[in-house]
This record gives sequence, structure tokens and C-alpha cells, in this order.
Amino acid sequence: MSYEPGYAGLGGRLAVRELIPSPRHAVAIWTRNARVFSKLWKGALLPTFLDPFFYLLALGFGLGTYIAHGINGIPYKEFVAPGLIASAAMWSSAFETTYNVYFRMNELRLYDNVLSTPIEPADLVAGDLLWSASRATVYGIVVLIVVSAVGLVSSPWAILIPPFVFIGALCISVIGYSFTSLIPKIDLYSYFFTLGITPMFLFSGIFFPFNQLPGWVEVVAWFTPLYHLVEITRGMATGPDGVQILIHTAWLAAVTAILFPIPVRAIRARLVP
Amino acid sequence: MTGTEDTAPVVLARSLGKSYGGRVAVARIDFQVAPGICFGFLGPNGAGKTTTMKMIYGLATVGEGELRVLGMDARIERRQIKSRIGVVPQETNLDGDLTVRENLVQQARYFGIGPDQAGPRADELLEFALIGDRADERIHALSGGMKRRLLIARALVNDPELIVLDEPTTGLDPQARLAVWRALERLRRRGVTLLLTTHYMDEAARLCDRLLIMDEGSIVTEGDPGTLIHVHAGREALELDLAEECDPEALVDSLGERANGHELHDGALTLFAEDAEELLRSLDHDRFPTESAMVRRATLEDVFLRLTGRSLREGD
Repeated sequence: MSYEPGYAGLGGRLAVRELIPSPRHAVAIWTRNARVFSKLWKGALLPTFLDPFFYLLALGFGLGTYIAHGINGIPYKEFVAPGLIASAAMWSSAFETTYNVYFRMNELRLYDNVLSTPIEPADLVAGDLLWSASRATVYGIVVLIVVSAVGLVSSPWAILIPPFVFIGALCISVIGYSFTSLIPKIDLYSYFFTLGITPMFLFSGIFFPFNQLPGWVEVVAWFTPLYHLVEITRGMATGPDGVQILIHTAWLAAVTAILFPIPVRAIRARLVP
Repeated sequence: MTGTEDTAPVVLARSLGKSYGGRVAVARIDFQVAPGICFGFLGPNGAGKTTTMKMIYGLATVGEGELRVLGMDARIERRQIKSRIGVVPQETNLDGDLTVRENLVQQARYFGIGPDQAGPRADELLEFALIGDRADERIHALSGGMKRRLLIARALVNDPELIVLDEPTTGLDPQARLAVWRALERLRRRGVTLLLTTHYMDEAARLCDRLLIMDEGSIVTEGDPGTLIHVHAGREALELDLAEECDPEALVDSLGERANGHELHDGALTLFAEDAEELLRSLDHDRFPTESAMVRRATLEDVFLRLTGRSLREGD
């Protein structure tokens, strides 16, 4: 069964008050998602444990053996480890705001019910995004525990990584949610993942630094949220530079705020025509 | 409460219209729903009933004209309106990831009801829907009738003043329909205003105090069921299965004023009259041979078919 919601676009402009979520109503949406996750978390978290193990084995301990001097004075596996915290959060956010939201919206038709209660589109989107970021943070924490346990985190500042993961995941989530709220059919996700998420995973500085590459590569990477989140997690794990952390965090927060109206308007155009 | 509040319309539409793209779904209609009654919208598929309901419960924006629900402007005070009404949608959109009881608890949360009150409220509604023993099962384990009753229970979490039901019994077996009707009758006795759409004339006749028939986006007629039957069909109907050589036009002409009206469909002629027996006796049987004849009471079905035509509609 393949239901195609069709293209509804962004619809007309909305009044500013319609773009501001009500915290109480957004939390009600968050609660629903958390309630469902609380039943599934055991099955859902196990792959998250295994995933970073495999990457660490293959890249950190496998490939890393050939990188004798490490990177920027850091052993290669310590270089890669914090990036895996960020990437776990990215994958979680990407799946939650694509397939999961699509399924709830178009197959289960849950949002038709939700929007006929006092919840408005801005509350719905905000609640879903907060949930997606919360889930991603749980995944990030799992990886943080794994890499700390095997001794790949050298700075005690790493304990502060989770809230930054939340902010980064919020930014990636709003991008995924925008895509979901606009696409006319589910098949288009292959473009989102192949042209968006996978390249971001490979070229955001998780596996190699930018200093040996042409300058434009880093410029391109600068425009992706994962780059900033990786810079933050690596900084925290190896010894942070406060100003840099602040700049990266501001980037993530600003992009989230700028993009937020897109899914709100698109959901409104699609479900409340 | 003052007297004016008691009688102020629960829904008031003035020149209410809605188009999707270039297609007119609702063409500037006027109606009002008095408090405490069961108000039914009848009409063939694509008549504009669902769109009208959606504008009332906030899943479609008001296109043209004015719509007031519980005295509030549906264009502006959508959230406030939604907090005081209940909705039973046409599609079963229960939350399949949650249990039966959790569906109700979660719905209460959407309405801002705290966790300590949501639980008892859910249990109360499970009893109302007669599915208390299925509380911890997943949705897909329920029968169609139970899902429908759960949808009605879900629409009650906020103790609404108005409940909008879009085809509440479509697809249900007779026992399940009866259970839904009983639930709706209990609600009406409590003074809740019900607004429903239906294809079923027996449902409309049984439940509704007042009916509105829509076709192609416009209102065809409005009134209480008895009056509609009387005005548009008369008291009785005579169904004739005509012989092949019988000319239906000439037959109708020969009756003149004695018949209230007629409906012709595939060689079956239905004539409406105050006394159908009398009409049958007065018929010139040599000139107009018939295979069979049957006298029955006129029904809402006759009104509906006369006003909206017998032809099948495109679409669904």
C-alpha cells in the first residue's frame, strides 16, 4: 500500500502568532512520541550500541593502524570517536523526521486527529522536533558512553556534550521535517539520504580533517549542520575552545529558527487546506 | 446561563463557501444548528458535507463567508473552538502504536488535561464505549464496531458541547450500527448537540431532529424528517413494475393531480400520493399494464432520491 499525499507546497503566508508554538501543546505531542518510544526502546537502542562499535573497529582500530601519527596530534580512533556521537544523533534525527513522521502523517493519519484537538500546526511541528532531538540525544549519549568506556575521550568537558547534541539534532530534524512536509511521495527519501545525509556523514569532518583538502571543501561543509555538531563534540571530547563552541552552537540554533516556519506552513497547507 | 445563550445557534453559517483549486466544494450555503438537537447532513458523495464539517472542526480553513461555532469566529478562534467540540472523523485514525486506553489518555493530553485526571477520564469513557475489557489491547485487535465506539469515546474526552460525526456508521454491520446509534442517543439525552453526515436514510430518520440535504455544494432542502417526507413525497408510495409495452410518460399524464410526483428508473415507476391504494384502483390497467404493484409508506429515501437524482455519482 503506497499512499501519495501529493504536493501542497507552502500555502499562503501565516500570521506570526500561527508560527509560534504553545509550549503546553507541543509537550503533549512530545509525550505521545515518548510514550511509544518507551515501549520500543530496547529494540531500538541495541543497533545504536553496535553501530559505533563497528565503525570504531573498522576505522579506528582497522584503518587507524595505518595512520601512525594520528591527526593533529590525536590518535586516529580518538579523532573519530566524538564524531560518531554526532553522526548517531544525525541518523536518529533523519529517520525520525522522515519515515516516522511520514508514516504518522500520511499512513496512520494521526495528524488529522491531532489537528482537530486544540493543537495547531506550530505546536505539532515543535513537539515532533523536540521529540526527535530528545531521541537523538539518547542515541548520542549511548555512543558517548560506549566511546568513553573504551577510553577514547580525554577531556572531562565531554560530560557536557548531550545538550549540544540536542541543539544539533534539532537543526538536522527541522531539515528532515521540512522535506517530509513538502514531498508528494515517499520515494523521494532516497534523494534525501543519498544526496543529503550520506554525503554529510562522510564529509563533515568525522573521518578526516579539512586541512589537507582544498579550501572549498570546508566552505561547503560549513553549510551543513553535522559539521558544526562534529566540531562541538570533538572540541568537548578533546578540550574545548569556548568561543568556537559558541559560534557553532549559534549557527545551529539560528538555522533551526530560520527553517522552522517551513514545515509549519507546509503542514498547514497540506492538512488544513 | 441566560435565555439567549440557551437558544443561540451552536453553528451559524452565512454564505459559507469553499473551493479547492478551481473546484467549488461548498457554494455559499446558509444554515444554523440549534443547541441540544441532532442535526443531519444528507447528500450523495461529493455533495460538500465533509468539507462543511471540516470547516467546522478546523481541518479546512473557511473559504468565503462567515462561520461561527459556539459563538466564535471559525477563521480566528480555531483553537478555542476545537477545545470545546468533539470530532468523529470518517476515517479511523486511532493511534495504532498505543493501546485502547492509551489512545484516550493521550487524547486527553492533547486537550491539556493533566495526567492525574486523564486516567480516570479514560476509564469512564471505556465504560461508555463498552470496551472496558479491551483497555490494554492494541487498536488492530478491535473489530470495526469497537473502533468506531472508541472513536466516539475519544471525541468525548473534553466533555464537548458539540460533537461532529462524519458518517459514523459507514461500513459497520447491523449490530455495530445499533450500538453506535444507542451511544449517540445517550449523548443526545445528556443535551450534547450532535451534527452528523450520513448516507443512510434510516439512520437520519432515527437519529435526527432536523435534516439538511446537500447536493453539488448547495443546500437542496432543510426541515424535520416528517415534514420533508410530507412535502416532497406525500404520505404513501406506489411502486409499479411496468410491462414492456406500457408508456410511463402517458401513465403519469393520465393521473394528473392525483399523484404527488413520480420517479422513473429502469422501468420501475414510483408514484407518490396521500392514498396509494386509491391511486392504484384509479389506474387504467388495460391501457397501462404492469408486472407488479406495491403500496408502501413514503420514506426519507424517496425524498433523497427525488431531490438528488438516482444516477450514480462519479468520485467515490
